[in-house]
Amino acid sequence: MDDQTVRTICYLSRLRLDDEKSKKILSDLDTIIGMIDSLSATNTENISPLYNPLEETARKFNDKIKSDNNKELFLENAPESDENFFLVPKVVD
Amino acid sequence: MQFQTIKEINDGLVSKKFSVEELIKDTFALINENKVLNCFISLNEENALARAKKIKVSKDSHLLSGVPIAQKDLFCTKGIKTTCGSKMLENFYPPYSSKVEEALDAAGSICIGKTNMDEFAMGSSNETSFFGNVHNPWKKGFVPGGSSGGAACSVAAGLVPAATGTDTGGSIRQPAALCGLTGIKPTYGRISRWGMIAFASSLDQAGPICRTAEDCSILLDAMTGYDSRDTTSLNLDPTNTYTDLKKPYENLRIGIVNEFNVDALSKESQTLFNESLKVFESLGASIHKISLPNINQSVPTYYVIAPAECSSNLSRYDGVKFGHRSLEAEDLESLYINSRSEGFGDEVKRRILIGTYVLSAGYYDAYYKKAQQVRRLIKNDFEEAFKEVDLIVSPTSPSEAFEFGTKGTQDPTELYLEDLFTISSNLAGLPALSMPHGFVNGLPVGIQLIGNYLEESMILNFANRFQQRTDFHNAKPTFEGF
Repeated sequence: MDDQTVRTICYLSRLRLDDEKSKKILSDLDTIIGMIDSLSATNTENISPLYNPLEETARKFNDKIKSDNNKELFLENAPESDENFFLVPKVVD
Repeated sequence: MQFQTIKEINDGLVSKKFSVEELIKDTFALINENKVLNCFISLNEENALARAKKIKVSKDSHLLSGVPIAQKDLFCTKGIKTTCGSKMLENFYPPYSSKVEEALDAAGSICIGKTNMDEFAMGSSNETSFFGNVHNPWKKGFVPGGSSGGAACSVAAGLVPAATGTDTGGSIRQPAALCGLTGIKPTYGRISRWGMIAFASSLDQAGPICRTAEDCSILLDAMTGYDSRDTTSLNLDPTNTYTDLKKPYENLRIGIVNEFNVDALSKESQTLFNESLKVFESLGASIHKISLPNINQSVPTYYVIAPAECSSNLSRYDGVKFGHRSLEAEDLESLYINSRSEGFGDEVKRRILIGTYVLSAGYYDAYYKKAQQVRRLIKNDFEEAFKEVDLIVSPTSPSEAFEFGTKGTQDPTELYLEDLFTISSNLAGLPALSMPHGFVNGLPVGIQLIGNYLEESMILNFANRFQQRTDFHNAKPTFEGF
């Protein structure tokens, strides 16, 4: 994994690696990628991917309106909120 | 009342040898005496004692009525802190309970507390928990396995008769093996994932960890059943494995897998494996060699699929709606990055990064799609094998419990290989059990039985018969070094 790829992956993951740990984590990532590269040796021509072990597709539900309003309950776990909203730092100046 | 099974506790409650209240008080006393094990993240003492006072057990009650159960800290429990072993959820109090918690509550069991675990269930040694290492009750400073390490430790130390676990690549079976217990991961879809904090949704499955196969059957039957809130829940009645323990499963054909290369294990492990096969034969089973040609691709396949699903599932932790929020944020972008970087530990970060990499443009086909194709080949291999045999047997893990900090510190894939024998049944969605079958260097090791889809009854029935013929499940830990 080159530096540019690492920067892109970190950004997509919204993660930052500390300087002291980044060398170790990057070397670990290279080791893991080395291991998963062995998959290329298996012939998978004409084999369809298996995304769910039982191949059951997700069931659909009727789009019914429920009267549950748990706003207060959910806001209790929010790190910052006012009485109606999750609060985040200012987005637009 | 240490080291009692569910059956023994039920007998004691029905015959009024002790009351539910006495049992629960005794349980918390035991837990407090054994705090050094670090197997619980939080306790539910006040609620448990209040509930104990209300429960009266008779011979008509559910076998779990009044029985203390430890819940892995990955199951949401309404109003009880649920951390998933992470700083990210250090102060998370779920507004609802998981289906598993609801079901066990309805059966009359009592949630004693929440057990320690690898962070977000990512680990095989319980060393990635934000809340510290869990000791194996057999030897201080040795791992209990993972990710359900606290669950296995709490049962092995005799503090509770049973615990819930979850298994994404072996996280019930491997800690059960390393602690001398019995644990089963049922067929994917048997137990609702509603309220289970997601790691890898197409692999995660809950299950019980107990001392015996009989106890596992009692707990499994209570945990299974259809739930419309989990779109992958199988539309089937709960399992009936406890009643099926009496069924005559005669002349079972048991397969040993050529590619598992048991000869590479230690001499002691090989001897134990061969001795267990002889017990199987004495129970009327026949042993057959089978081939699963793609099985050795299980570990790389898993380490593409599980991180990919984890990177997607863990994207919800953003410091806004719940979970850790950084105090250092200047804008929304830095809020996300700082909250996630502070809240997740190194192993979780490694897996998110790998998952993001294999899903990213340019690599998706080479890794993610490829792994899902190999996954189908692995499933096809099992389907072919189950035309010839009824059960497949292997060791549960390559070795016995090891000392803290001795595996995976230089090379993380060393620890990933702990799950060599267990991962394939998650990829294929098959039910699999581990049970104790001997000791290596004074530490317990397990043997694994993999069954065909929905064959939990056959697996538990055979394991129960094995335990009627052997005594390994009755061994109690020596608490060496404590």
